[in-house]
Amino acid sequence: MNTAWRFAWRNIWRNKRRTVLTMCAIGFGAALIVFSVGLQLGQYDLMISGSTRIFQGLIQVQKRGYLNDARMRNTIPDAQSLAKKIRHETAINDIAVRANGFALVSSKERTYGVAVIGVETQYESYVSIIPGLIKSGRYLSADNANEMVIGRSLAKNLKVKLGDELTILGSGRDGSIAAAVLPVTGVFESGSRELDRSMIQIPIKTFQETFSMQTHAHAIVLYHQNSALLEPIKSQLDGILMPMNENLVAVGWDQIQPGIKESIELDYSSGWFIYIILIAIITFSIMNTFLMSVLERTREFGIMLALGFKPLNIGKLVMMEALILTVFALTIGTLIGISVNYYFLINGLTFEGMEEIAAQYNMPATITPQISLESSLLGPVTILVFTLVAALYPALKIRKLKPVEAMRHL
Amino acid sequence: MINSIRLIFALSWRNLWRNKRRTLIILFAIILGVWAMIVTAAFMRGMVFQMLEDTVDNLAGHVQIHHPQYLDDPVIDNSFNPQSAAVSKLLQDPRIALSSTRIRLAAVIVSERESSGITMLGIDPAQESKVSFIGRSVVEGRFLDSTSDNGIVIGKALADKLQTRLGKRIVLMSQDINNEIADRGFRIVGIFDAPLDPTEKSFIFIAKDNAEKMLGLKNKASEIVLRLHNTDMVNSLVNDYAQFDKNIDVMSWLKAEPYLEMMIELMDSSMFIWYLIVFLAMAFGIINTLLMAVFERTREFGLFQALGQKPGFILFQVWLEAVLMIIVGLVIGNILSWLSVLATGDGIDVSVFARGMEMLNMSNIIPFVITFDDLIVANLTVAILGMLTGLYPAWRASRLVPAHAITRI
Amino acid sequence: MKHVVKCENITKIFEQGLIKVNALTDVNISVEAGEFICLSGPSGSGKSTLLNMIGGLDTPTSGEVYIDGDEIDTLNRSQLADMRLHKIGFVFQAYNLIPVLSAQENVEMVMQMQGIDKHTRHQRSSAILKEVGLEGLEDRKPPELSGGQQQRVAVARAIVSQPSLILADEPTANLDSNSASNLIDLMLHINKQHNTTFIISTHDPMIMQRARKLVKLHDGQITDIISQNNHV
Repeated sequence: MNTAWRFAWRNIWRNKRRTVLTMCAIGFGAALIVFSVGLQLGQYDLMISGSTRIFQGLIQVQKRGYLNDARMRNTIPDAQSLAKKIRHETAINDIAVRANGFALVSSKERTYGVAVIGVETQYESYVSIIPGLIKSGRYLSADNANEMVIGRSLAKNLKVKLGDELTILGSGRDGSIAAAVLPVTGVFESGSRELDRSMIQIPIKTFQETFSMQTHAHAIVLYHQNSALLEPIKSQLDGILMPMNENLVAVGWDQIQPGIKESIELDYSSGWFIYIILIAIITFSIMNTFLMSVLERTREFGIMLALGFKPLNIGKLVMMEALILTVFALTIGTLIGISVNYYFLINGLTFEGMEEIAAQYNMPATITPQISLESSLLGPVTILVFTLVAALYPALKIRKLKPVEAMRHL
Repeated sequence: MINSIRLIFALSWRNLWRNKRRTLIILFAIILGVWAMIVTAAFMRGMVFQMLEDTVDNLAGHVQIHHPQYLDDPVIDNSFNPQSAAVSKLLQDPRIALSSTRIRLAAVIVSERESSGITMLGIDPAQESKVSFIGRSVVEGRFLDSTSDNGIVIGKALADKLQTRLGKRIVLMSQDINNEIADRGFRIVGIFDAPLDPTEKSFIFIAKDNAEKMLGLKNKASEIVLRLHNTDMVNSLVNDYAQFDKNIDVMSWLKAEPYLEMMIELMDSSMFIWYLIVFLAMAFGIINTLLMAVFERTREFGLFQALGQKPGFILFQVWLEAVLMIIVGLVIGNILSWLSVLATGDGIDVSVFARGMEMLNMSNIIPFVITFDDLIVANLTVAILGMLTGLYPAWRASRLVPAHAITRI
Repeated sequence: MKHVVKCENITKIFEQGLIKVNALTDVNISVEAGEFICLSGPSGSGKSTLLNMIGGLDTPTSGEVYIDGDEIDTLNRSQLADMRLHKIGFVFQAYNLIPVLSAQENVEMVMQMQGIDKHTRHQRSSAILKEVGLEGLEDRKPPELSGGQQQRVAVARAIVSQPSLILADEPTANLDSNSASNLIDLMLHINKQHNTTFIISTHDPMIMQRARKLVKLHDGQITDIISQNNHV
């Protein structure tokens, strides 16, 4: 450490109580923002993985236009062989074909309109957790098997049990009537009210036959646990699809479920709105300290000027003091914030009432904070910028200082 | 005593403005804090308020009457007689402003090209148009005009999805009283627009008589929703009729959406935590600034003591300085937040996040709602904690020993 | 005769870190009502310390101080404050006044604390400001007054509650000789007019000459007490 820095360091400790109080304000702000940004980012991770992992996947290959207009006839031809090709070329194995339809499902007593999903029985478990969430019976066995699995709430509403047959009635791809009678081989419970109440799954070939689809399907679903890889994988897929069939596109989870993406953005921006206000309050409340520590040393600065220091040097000294004080406090605050995040990362954070709200938005009731560069540094760096701007004011005042007047100052 | 207080008051007030810049800076922090407290509370309140309004408006009403099993299993079997003696008596309660009797069942709507699962509402148009949003939301065509109107009113998003439009025919299918699939054709006479897409996609309206004919129902309803004169009456009304009749279940709309109730409770506590955080952010600055003011006046406090002032006098004088500062901050902060809420008019437009808001069941305009309770809690938090904070510098000032205080330069 | 002030064997030791300084050693002094005493000596001789002891602003390491027969060591902070409020007036070298209050308010402040009503307060403060020659300057704040004027306000404030004792610590040190002379005239006038006891610490020869009793201090000990028969 050179002399100037050592000088600045000693200066900030001349009034211990004041420095400690100022550091408390800065450290408190840093710890709080590190903790709550960590919490927010952790929650977003859960929202994204929840929404992609359960059923929708990270990326889907669809016919252009299907995203906005999910019509039966907007299909991908030869979907299964295309899926095989993509698996081969991307070396990503978590890929499965799906066909989506709508039909009336009737038991002896009840009838409901539900989404009917045709799945590749062998691959579906790679892209969705539903095959693993069978609560009774078993999942679908083969692509051409005559069987179905249904959601738990739907089973209850239809008053059916394993082995009971259900009638599916809908319209096929060509407008013809699609009808089938299939036994229930399994009941799943995904935890999502929507899916458990209004979805059935049947094998892909059975679906294609029932709904006159030949070898067509509606989506090739790709899952990857790292949502940050969305864009690179997407462009890789586009590279494969483009030369083959320009009518096919890869769409990301953020397009499939824009609500999740936008509610994350909404939450993050309102969070930052609040942090900025908080930082501004802290900045104003410490601005006086910076100002005072300069004004009360007017005489001293006068002597320094008389000794040949330039006002610029003294301004620099003041800025260095502010920098040391802030960085020191930020380091402590950030470490506290990270430790709290770490504690909740290990133990999980939940509070009363969280469960009801989480269930409404289809999220787990326990949040684990994220510890990352963004969560740990974005807040503290913002505080640093604000406080240095605040320190600039007294530092600039020094430039107007005249040695004789300053020395006469008491 | 009165004399002394007047003297202290004058001293505190004048001392507060002795160093204008310093006082203004810390005052700015307080004002910003108070403003942030009130405005965020108003925004959050507005968000929940809007959510509740939308829910009530969106068919829920204030109080709902169902068959006891309907909520678990909303099917045709779980309907009740809306003209039974018990129900008729209940409906005469003076707290009730409006009511609407509905047949409300799951159904499938089929157009020439597409089909979709929806909830059908068989209603009396005269009643329903007053109780829920639908009366003022038809943007194309017209709303149903009688209980035997042969038309159907569907949402805009549903019309797009079904690739159909005004004047076209659609078929409605649902389970009738004998568990057979009943169907009936309707002409689209009206298209409605709702703040939320899912509302447009999931509800269709037909006249009650036609619903009864289609399903083979007679004198049966799935639900009656009530609007009361005042939201505060909800709980008392529900309690009064809790064990009223075993064939019906009387329930507050909040029970239908348990997460909303939790949300409101959670909001109260999180608002309070937010107030504390904001206050803490200001508190360090308040203490530091007052301590500075105390130490640079050391000599003066010594003089006061030499002149015969009791330590309590000095304590009170410095403390009052803190209190006055906080009061000024509170007054300006309150006025500013009131002005900024006024300036936003109907609320702020968050349609940039439209689909995110939809996921949260909220519309795109969030009004600012300042409630009396929130104002009280925010102001009291700052005032009480501020007074406590002021004690520390005041105590320091009163502890200065006179001889040292005077001789110190 | 009753003593207004009586000090018995006062010793005061200041500890500054490891160094102990005997500010006062075995000081005995008695002051009778109506006396005009000057404590003189070089700086560091213990004048101010003795004055602070008498005013109850500081406590002796050993020995007793009696004011009007009460031993001040037995009083608590609040009783001491009351004693100062009613029996003692102070005039310091500088910074005597509360800067945010006007001249009149500074004078009235003491009466206000004593609970005297507004009307009486106003009358008495106006009369006293007139007596000290500040008529017309009542509404000025301290920064708007000259050093001499400020000290006059301080004297006015000290006598307004009619204390039996006024302690003045180097009251003329910051004044030019003309103002200093006027201030001494004023204090002597008050001493005579109201029979108020004055104890003044100073190294200003002008005061020493005119005081009726001169107490010389050196290194914390009284070296000489000289009674002077001055013509006022």
